[in-house]
Amino acid sequence: MNHVINSVVIVGGGTAGWLTAAIIAARHQGRMKAGFSVTLVESPNVSPIGVGEGTWPTLRATLKKIGISETEFFRHCDSAFKQGAKFARWTTDTPGDAYYHPLMLPQGFTELNLVPHWLGNEHGRTFCDAVCPQGELCELGLSPKMITTPEYQGAANYAYHLDAGKFAPFLQKHCTDKLQVRHILADVLRVNLNERGDISSLTTEQAGEISGNLFVDCTGFSAMLLGKTLGVGFRDCSDILFCDTALAVQVPYDAADTAMASHTISTAQTAGWIWDIGLPTRRGIGHVYSSRHSSEEQAREALLNYIGQQHKNLPVRKIPIRSGHREIFWKNNCVAVGLAAGFLEPLEASAIVLIELSAKLIAEHMPATREIMDIIATRFNDVTHYRWGRIIDFLKLHYVLTKRTDSKFWTDNVDPDTIPDRLKNLLKLWKYQSPWFFDEFDRLEEVFPAASYQYVLYGMGFRTEVDQLDMTATETQANRLINENIAVTKRLIAQLPKNRDLIDKIHQHGMQSI
Amino acid sequence: MTNVAVLNSQTHNALRVHAEASAQYGDNRRFVAVVVNEFSLLVPHYPIFLSKDADTGAFYCGAMLGFDEGENLFLPADGGRDDAYRPLNLQRGPFYTLGSDLAIDLDHSRVDASNIHAQRLFEDNGEPTEYLQSIRALMRELRPGLERTKIFVETLLQHKLVESIDIDVGFDDGSNRQIEGLYVMDQEALRKLPDDVALELFRRGYLQLIYLMIASLKQVSVLAQKKNRRLLNAIDSLNQPRA
Repeated sequence: MNHVINSVVIVGGGTAGWLTAAIIAARHQGRMKAGFSVTLVESPNVSPIGVGEGTWPTLRATLKKIGISETEFFRHCDSAFKQGAKFARWTTDTPGDAYYHPLMLPQGFTELNLVPHWLGNEHGRTFCDAVCPQGELCELGLSPKMITTPEYQGAANYAYHLDAGKFAPFLQKHCTDKLQVRHILADVLRVNLNERGDISSLTTEQAGEISGNLFVDCTGFSAMLLGKTLGVGFRDCSDILFCDTALAVQVPYDAADTAMASHTISTAQTAGWIWDIGLPTRRGIGHVYSSRHSSEEQAREALLNYIGQQHKNLPVRKIPIRSGHREIFWKNNCVAVGLAAGFLEPLEASAIVLIELSAKLIAEHMPATREIMDIIATRFNDVTHYRWGRIIDFLKLHYVLTKRTDSKFWTDNVDPDTIPDRLKNLLKLWKYQSPWFFDEFDRLEEVFPAASYQYVLYGMGFRTEVDQLDMTATETQANRLINENIAVTKRLIAQLPKNRDLIDKIHQHGMQSI
Repeated sequence: MTNVAVLNSQTHNALRVHAEASAQYGDNRRFVAVVVNEFSLLVPHYPIFLSKDADTGAFYCGAMLGFDEGENLFLPADGGRDDAYRPLNLQRGPFYTLGSDLAIDLDHSRVDASNIHAQRLFEDNGEPTEYLQSIRALMRELRPGLERTKIFVETLLQHKLVESIDIDVGFDDGSNRQIEGLYVMDQEALRKLPDDVALELFRRGYLQLIYLMIASLKQVSVLAQKKNRRLLNAIDSLNQPRA
């Protein structure tokens, strides 16, 4: 007998829960009238963590697909543009030590790898500036589009900074108004299993028993379904990524029209780093540090130095970070998304993008019956393991390339014992060839493409050996691409408005959908 | 800069305005906003498109006058006059409405008290001249026209009848012009309109406006020929032997 899967129950109403509900419900809208249902159960008493104010450009496609107007998203979530991240003081800790990890690919990335050409002749520019306009756009405080640019399109690639505390309620409204998601406010008292160990229903305090045939665990750090009930363990990775605490603060602008960066600014500290995210109404700033390398007192001091003594009375929220992820993500008929699946320091804003990718994978591979679910679960676990692994490697890359020796935090970080083998091998390989297409980052939905590795490696002064003879054949093409980049940069600088000016206009006039 | 004042027969009795089409008075524009009331007058001469206001991103209707920045092909190269209907927004010259009053931008290059070839606004006895009366009539067309046009455009967008178009024209001198940022009727979407919507558009007079816009696109090639002749004439005059 086939057990049809037509009832998805999501537990937890934070960003992960609502985004997952939206992605699954939008994808299976057509089946709703045949009885397919998406239910979200949320405790009326637990407030979401609200992690992640940084996102990836994938969110544009995700929001569009679930039928949200970008204008409404800007108006309701205190959203702003993000064109990448600027990493300051990560390499040498000297003034001027900074590089960009932009969101645009290098010019002609699909035709030619510009890295060897840049290494051979830097043309007096950083790698980012030589191959892509976005670093300069960020330095000048420009937005990635114009008011005449349609929703979700950009002159430059972009993602968002947003207020996670507003994003979840915004998604909730959309899910219940437009996507037929059932919303139940109830505390889960007990998770009931059937004879094969699958979750059959939830017993709740306020809404009785809620049954379903696929359960998505979005209960945050507690991992109530996958962890507590089904006993899936947690794989800690604090031996690779040392940061385990964040001190977060919201800093007001001096004036309503103070300029606003269109990129995340990440500034390395003695025992961690500080994020600085510009939203229209405030800056979200936080110090992520390793409690093994710094006392809370020292960490608070560093944060205060960054935001300025005039802000010393602002409330600081302490958030513990447990770096790592579940040993598997999908077991029986339960799959974890968001913090329930795992968490890593927000160095490259990987939290929300992982929610999107996981939810999309569930939605696209929605098992038709219970009998085939295990095949899909295995595949989901493989892909998701791969993703977490690549993110951990990529975050670690930011630390292993440092030349800082001013604290044990930095010297410990370059200790080979703390570097994953895969990354160690890649670093060996990259001494002789730069990451590009024929590297291993070739998955369809690679979290960080080879271009990201290029920006970090060559932004942090990594050198790959270059054979001049090897490049003669493509030199003309490389020069053309580098000149094209100069022309594109000039054109964009002339066209694009200041970041805050455009956001004000979006609030006032809205964007057109075409 | 503008220096707008409400028109007054005493203060502005001696004022004169250059009414004719001329590049020196600001007619050198390749695109001008138009209103639905004048569509039928525009169609024999101008392509009508939708475009976006650079400041707000809002859609508006406009007539295309040329291909290059500042090029109005309806301004004859020899400085003579063209008999084509002139869009209201060009005819209005330096005039505005402020509430229910007619106002004038005193700093506009068309305003000139000393030039006796320019049009007077008031007779010596303070009565409005025929020219000023024609401007008042024009404003009575233009003002409600703007509102009607806005609602028309909103309706088009609401029914997803608008699509972007990239215009790429090659000329006989070997040059090319690419014009971006223009939008036209999506005829595929138009054909697929549900019956009740089509009927509603017909009753509101919008279907006619839509077909006028579609028909007006034929004027792009007429405009291109006009430009082509000018380009070739320019080459001819370069090739002529010098005396």
